[in-house]
Amino acid sequence: MNRVQKVEQVKHLPIKFGEVARYVIVPGDPNRVPLIANNLDNPVHQGQNREFNAYKGSYKGTEISVVSTGIGCPSTAIAVEELVHIGAEVLIRIGTSGSVDNTAKKGDIFIATAAVRDDGTSKQYMPIEFPAVASHHVVENLIKSSKHLQIESLVGVCQSKDSFFGEVEPERMPVAPYLDSKWKAWQGGGVGASEMEAATLFTLSHIKRVQAGAVLAVEVSDIDTVNKMTKIVIEAINYMEEASNV
Amino acid sequence: MSDENSKGGLLDTPIQYHIQLKKGDVSDFVILPGDPGRVEFIAEHFDSAKLVADNREYKTMTGTYKGRPVTVTSTGIGCPSTAIAVEELANVGVNTFVRLGTSGAMQEHTRIGDKVIATGAVRYEGTSVQYMPIEFPAVASHDMVSALISSAKSSNLSHHVGIVQSKDSFYGQHNPEGMPIAAELLQKWDAWVKGGVLCSEMEAATLFVVGSYRKLRTGAVLLVAGDQARGEALTKEEYHQNMTESINMILEASLDIKVEE
Repeated sequence: MNRVQKVEQVKHLPIKFGEVARYVIVPGDPNRVPLIANNLDNPVHQGQNREFNAYKGSYKGTEISVVSTGIGCPSTAIAVEELVHIGAEVLIRIGTSGSVDNTAKKGDIFIATAAVRDDGTSKQYMPIEFPAVASHHVVENLIKSSKHLQIESLVGVCQSKDSFFGEVEPERMPVAPYLDSKWKAWQGGGVGASEMEAATLFTLSHIKRVQAGAVLAVEVSDIDTVNKMTKIVIEAINYMEEASNV
Repeated sequence: MSDENSKGGLLDTPIQYHIQLKKGDVSDFVILPGDPGRVEFIAEHFDSAKLVADNREYKTMTGTYKGRPVTVTSTGIGCPSTAIAVEELANVGVNTFVRLGTSGAMQEHTRIGDKVIATGAVRYEGTSVQYMPIEFPAVASHDMVSALISSAKSSNLSHHVGIVQSKDSFYGQHNPEGMPIAAELLQKWDAWVKGGVLCSEMEAATLFVVGSYRKLRTGAVLLVAGDQARGEALTKEEYHQNMTESINMILEASLDIKVEE
């Protein structure tokens, strides 16, 4: 409640306290922000600074923000810190991913329950033994929403990496054997999808005592898939809002 | 999956090496306490149960609860013996594992008598890293977590949902200053507390990681039995009452899990 005095402007985001909704959808790509916001009622562009593009609209009367994080955990951590600082309480990532253990096929929708911390940022917050786990309440509502909308989804653990090309072209990296042996372990351990932001989103959200989740599309990023993921997320937000008003 | 993973190995025998169980001795759903001395007490909450094996720290009883087949097997203390129990139980047909244990409070709002439903575990132990690299999250199965939450809610039990810490050294937690690596123990403990970890125990991380690898359903209910910061502990009577509540909570949740033949 004292946050108004505490903060006027944050360093990186184009929005300040009072301009963010309790629920925020966080895609990586700034150009995807308006596409996601188009699924909301009365979307308003609030500004863009660097890779952080911000819109706000509503769904069934509940305000929802859409703010991009840029690629990778370093810029995601900045976005999460600043979003929480100005009042965000539930952060749900929408993103693209690759398949790891081949249970997820091209075009599948993947709801992450937790993330492999193959990133550098989350380690500067919590020792590596700490699990990057999504909020159960968010996961539960994402699953419920996808079932209700009859959009099939997979549920499981994703991997968050820092090097995109280390995943897609590991053989040309000086650390190829390291990348290869780790990748085999993720496959053996049942990791479904590979992306670049969830581990820090989950770890940092837990530290900040806010809720987080992630919906990922496997190997596709077309407009239909973005709309599908957005529909799952905004309906889940609607369920969460209804539950919090009981 | 289970057969595939153990083919030709030490576990490729009808009677499992350590738990001394074979197919047919167990149900698909198992409750895992640490203490073999707690097995009989847990089985008293079943419709009926019989002892099927008792070897080392692994004591197993199988029966039914409201007609649903259920098993209880003790793991012994710590992740090394827990990994053995989980692997061998999976080989004889178990696919749902719910740990029931005691724990120490780590937050202001986790009080003795509270039940903690674990969504994940801090991997501050040596066993799970011999299965999966440390970056992999020790995470419980979401459907088991959901079943446990609705069971706790319908019995009006004071419960929390979140991350727990699994450690290897009991006395490293209770007397960190006395250990040669005091600085590391204290520094990490502080990080877990600041990060919102709810309570401390000794088996969940390996249960969850081995469960992910073997494609098993896992969960854990940790009864907060002690509170170092406040110097509180459950009395014997309180412990029994709270254990009974925790056992019934898991047994009721088992009814939400489809029986696998």
